[in-house]
Formats: sequence, C-alpha cells, structure tokens
Amino acid sequence: MHPSSAVPRAVPLRAPAAPQTFVAGLVLLALAGIAFWLTADLPRGSLRSAGPGMLPQALAVLIALCGAVLTVSGFLVRGEAIPKGSLRGPVCISLAIAGFALTIKPMSFGALTTPELGLAVAGPLAIFLGGYAAPGARFKPLLLLALTLTPLCMLLFGDMLNLPIPLLPQFLAENLFADWSYKGALRLTAAALLATALALFLLTRTRGGR
Amino acid sequence: MFDLFANLGLGLSVALSLQNIALCFVGCLVGTLVGILPGVGPIATISMLLPITFGLDPVGALIMLAGIYYGAQYGGSTTAILVNIPGEATAVVTTLDGHQMARQGRAGVALGIAAIGSFIAGTFATLLIAALGAPLTKLALVFGPAEYFALMLMGLVFAVVLAHGSILKAIAMILVGTLLSTVGTDLGTGQERMTLGLEFLSDGIDFAVLAMGIFGIAEILRNLDAVENRDVVRGTIGRLLPSTADMKQSAAPIARGTLIGSILGLLPGNGAVLGPFATYSLEKKLAKDPSRFGKGAIEGVAGPESANNAGAQTSFIPLLTLGIPPNAVMALMVGAMTIHGIIPGPLVMTRTPDLFWGMIASMWIGNLLLLIINLPMIGLWVRLLKVPYPILFPAILMFCCIGIFSINAEPVQVLMIAIFGLIGYALSKFGFEPAPLLLGFVLGDLMEENFRRALLMSRGDLTTFIASPISVGLLLLALGMLVLALLPSFRKSREDVFVE
Repeated sequence: MHPSSAVPRAVPLRAPAAPQTFVAGLVLLALAGIAFWLTADLPRGSLRSAGPGMLPQALAVLIALCGAVLTVSGFLVRGEAIPKGSLRGPVCISLAIAGFALTIKPMSFGALTTPELGLAVAGPLAIFLGGYAAPGARFKPLLLLALTLTPLCMLLFGDMLNLPIPLLPQFLAENLFADWSYKGALRLTAAALLATALALFLLTRTRGGR
Repeated sequence: MFDLFANLGLGLSVALSLQNIALCFVGCLVGTLVGILPGVGPIATISMLLPITFGLDPVGALIMLAGIYYGAQYGGSTTAILVNIPGEATAVVTTLDGHQMARQGRAGVALGIAAIGSFIAGTFATLLIAALGAPLTKLALVFGPAEYFALMLMGLVFAVVLAHGSILKAIAMILVGTLLSTVGTDLGTGQERMTLGLEFLSDGIDFAVLAMGIFGIAEILRNLDAVENRDVVRGTIGRLLPSTADMKQSAAPIARGTLIGSILGLLPGNGAVLGPFATYSLEKKLAKDPSRFGKGAIEGVAGPESANNAGAQTSFIPLLTLGIPPNAVMALMVGAMTIHGIIPGPLVMTRTPDLFWGMIASMWIGNLLLLIINLPMIGLWVRLLKVPYPILFPAILMFCCIGIFSINAEPVQVLMIAIFGLIGYALSKFGFEPAPLLLGFVLGDLMEENFRRALLMSRGDLTTFIASPISVGLLLLALGMLVLALLPSFRKSREDVFVE
C-alpha cells in the first residue's frame, strides 16, 4: 500500500509528514472498528458482574484513541516513510503454508474435502512453494533440499518422537503398504527418498564436472 | 540456609539422573543448533522445537525446554559475534565489540569469554532463584486478585517503557495483544466472543500459533526483504581460552554484569533486555580509555554477555513463583508448561517440589554443559553459519509447519500461522514491535480473570484495587514509570540507551 493513496484527495492538505505513523494510526482505527463491530451484540454488563463485551469494547476504545493520536501526529511531526517490500515473499510463503495445511491431512470445507497426502507430499510442496520466495531460487537445490529434509523429518517426528503426523498419501499407504507396519512403511519411504536425493546429488555433480 | 541446600540437593538428585542429563544435553545442543541460525531468535527456536518435548514426562520436558532456551540464547551470542546479526534485542550489544574482536582474529577469545561469563552468571542466578524461590512463593500466596491485577498492570507498563521506538505504538500493541486474548469463549458467561462463528476459534487463539506467526514466519518475510549481507568471519577463530591478562580484564565486568543482569531480570515486563545495555554503558563509563569500546574491547563482551545470561535466568523467578511471565520467551514457557499440565505459579513449588527444584538444578547443569559442548564444536557452528539463506528459510518454514501441526494435529492451525505471519510482517512495516503484543496476549487473559474476580468479590466496587497497600504501591509504581517515560528528558536518555 502506498501511503499517499490513503490520503483523501478532496482534502487540500499536504501529505502526512510521517507516512508510517499516519498509516499506523489508520490501521489501529480500523482494528478498533472491527473489534467494535464484532462485539456489538455482546452484553457489556455492569462492574458488579462484567459481561463478555466489557473488556473487548473498552480495549477497542483505547486502541481507537491510540490510533487517533498517531494519525494526527503523522501530520504534525516529521517521521519515516513506510519501508518498501516486495509481494513475492508474502505470496510465496503464504502459498507454501497453505499448501502444507491443505495436503497434510483431510480438511473439509462444507461438501468439499481435501485428500490426505501426508508429509511425503506436504513437506516438498512447502519447500518448493516457499523456496521461490527468494529472488534467486533455483530448481535443483530446492529439489535436493526437499528430498533430504522430508525423510529426515519423517524419521525425527514420526519414528523417534512418535508424533501422529500422516506420512504417506492415503491411497498409497492403503494399497502399497497394506501388510506393512506403520514404522516399516515410514522407514522404507524415508530410505527411498534419501537414496533418490543421493543419486541426484551424485549425478548432477559428475555432470557439472566440478 | 539449610533449606536452600536441601532443596538444591533434591533438585540435583532429580536433574542428575541419566535420562535427565541426556535430555538437558540434547536440549542444549538442539537449542544451539537452531538458535545459531541467523535471524532465528530464542522465541522462534523454542516454538519450533516445542513438539519434540511432547512425548516426555513433565520434569524431563521442562528440563529439555530450559536446555533449549539456554542453547538458543548462547547460539544467538555466537551469531552476534561471528556474523554481526543479533538474534534478539539482548544480543545487540554483543555485536558491538564481539564482532570487532572477531575481525581482529580474536573470535575464539570473544566466544570463550562469553561462555565463561555466561557460566559464572548462570551459577549465580541459579543460586539466586533457589534462594528467592521460597520467600517469593509465600508472598504470592498473600496476593489476591486485586494485587495480581496491579502487578500485571505494572509489568505491562514496564514492557512499554522498555520497548524500542514509539511509546504510543508499544501501548497500542499491548492493547491489541490483550484484545486478541479475548477471542474465544468467555469464561464467565460461556458466550463466544469475536469467533466469527468459526469452530476452531471458540477455544481462543493458540499461543504457539500466534508466537510462531508473528515471530517465526514474519521474521522470514522480513529477512527476505533485507538484501543479504552476511559478514561471516573469515580466517581463523584463533585460540579459545582467554589469556590471563584477558581474564583479569574481564573479571570485574563479569561480576558487575552478573549483578545488574540478575536484578533487572527480576522485573516484570522484560527487564532482562535492559541488562546488557546498562552493563555496557557502565563499563564504558568506568573504563580508563572509553574510546576502546566499539573497537573490540573485551569488557564490552564479558559484561553484557554475563548480564544477558543472568537476566535470562532470573526472569524465570516471576514465572515460577507468581505465575506471571515477564517477557515473551517466558510467555512461551507458560504455553509449554500448560501443554504438559503444569500451571505456573506458587503452587508448582509446594505441589511438585521435584519438578521445581529439578528444573532449577538443571539450569546450572545446562550452563555447564553449554560450556563443555560448545567451545570444542565451534568449527561446526561456523560451518552452519555459512549455510545460505535461500536454503535455510524453506527448512525453517517446513519445521514451523510440522511443529504447529503436531501440537494438536489441526491443519487449520497451520493456516493460522500464515495469517499471523502476514499480520506480523505488515505491523513491522508500520513500525510496530511484535514483542509487546505477545506479552499483552498472555497477560490479557490473566488480567481479565483477576479483574473480574476482584470486582465480583468487592461487589462491583472499584476501590478494591486501592484497598490494600500492596496493590496501591504497585499501581503507583506503574503510574510513576509511565509518567517518567512520557517526560521529554527521560525519553531522550531512553533513546540514547538503545541507539548505543
């Protein structure tokens, strides 16, 4: 968001002297507004028996006060601009986390349910989507990272720490490893992934001719 | 006095069992391993590693967590010295002279004196906790809801005064944090507040999710913005053990740092952060030749590092005796303890003495282990520091996701860290600090509970908060600090402290 776009154009005022403070104030005012709107129908109660709405609404008033002071002082006192940032980081990282959340375990949205793909899919997905947040991201190092980190995490969290994390896609686990114990399947998968990583590493290394 | 040794003996007998030593060791090692990564401070480290303690019994889990905490602190100092990137506010001072020493080829000595100073400070702080634990716990039992409310209010005011940057913004962040703590089912009436009708919000926002989002994920986003300019010390680390002359020069700063850090760490509202700054200014004032500071003076590493470790440890005191977390890291410890079914407060010591004293004894053992395991392994840490960020952050991201998912196997919670990450990132763009928000979030719950209980007991009479001398004193102290903080002259000196 560019600070100047937040200033109403009709007002013939100069731009705020401290754009960061000004926008910070606006953000707080908006937050207070949302809090008010969400708690409007909660009873406030009395001091003798405080209702559920009392504290949130009191806080909203105080936040709005802070916001108002900051907004006004953004015009009066000279201050910093909002530091620039690119959208690439936030978008990639959010997508990576969302990708992980949606594939690790079934999640239902009304009638729609996402399939359970487990860590074997969710882990590499998060690493790939997230990895491209960095401007100079390249495919091969990320693939190697995904192929080594995922099995190591499987062994650490699933095997050593016994945490209930789904590891494999459900259809794979049901068909391929039907007769296997949970840990047996886990170890085999981890070993296979690590072997792939090693093979990839050795192959690309010789071809690169370092 | 006899009690003190008996208690410490009990603690040592718990902490020295083979299993607990192993857990302490693993905690220290893993904590250092993650804490040393540039841009990963203790808060992110602990929230990332929290799940690995889930399968343990409460005593073992707490011992391991404490180990992770010291390891993360220590790792942060190593990064500050070798790379000039402070993992958190308390390590900022260490970068000043520590990194200069490293550039002069004395990185080993800087690391060595930091470790030795930390160990001495840790030993003293452990004894202090053991000595103060019992009396403060008795004091806590006298506290009613009104006194608790006043104490927490004072803690929040301290947090505001000690925060960087604009005071108004710090206040706003505390208020927002408190507002976030009210999301979920109201304890008094059972009504849902601000849940938007979403089921997973009816239990409120999970603390680990909030911390991981606004510290872990938002930190990745902030680091991605910054053009990376990592100045890992090249060349040799040099000898690790300080020479006799170095030791002589550092002895007094270590003693002063330990004392200042211990006292400031006791303050609610993150007094620990002030310790290194105060010690550094003091040493600079006391030095015969102050111009050496900032150019690799060993006192500038020894003093603040001791203060840092002492404060980090004594900040356990308000948590263990009063049940009030004084800073964001301790707030995370509350979350960790609650997961293991322990409610921090005066009752921990009386009901589970082996847990209480075992944890305290393990603090000292942890400090000793850090000294033993870290110095020989410095070569490994240096190599770890050279891992490029584009490889590092996807790994951190994946650990965060797995960590949050394993807390209660809810994919929605993973989605929430993305949301809080974006919020934390946006807030930092507007010049807000995340730490006061986290503290407000934790204390908010406790404050509302005590506020309402106090009013219920006094039948809605607000004068209950000024009925007892304790609460009047605490409230006056809070008011005084706030007024002082807003005075122009103090504001200026406060800025100076942080600029330095």
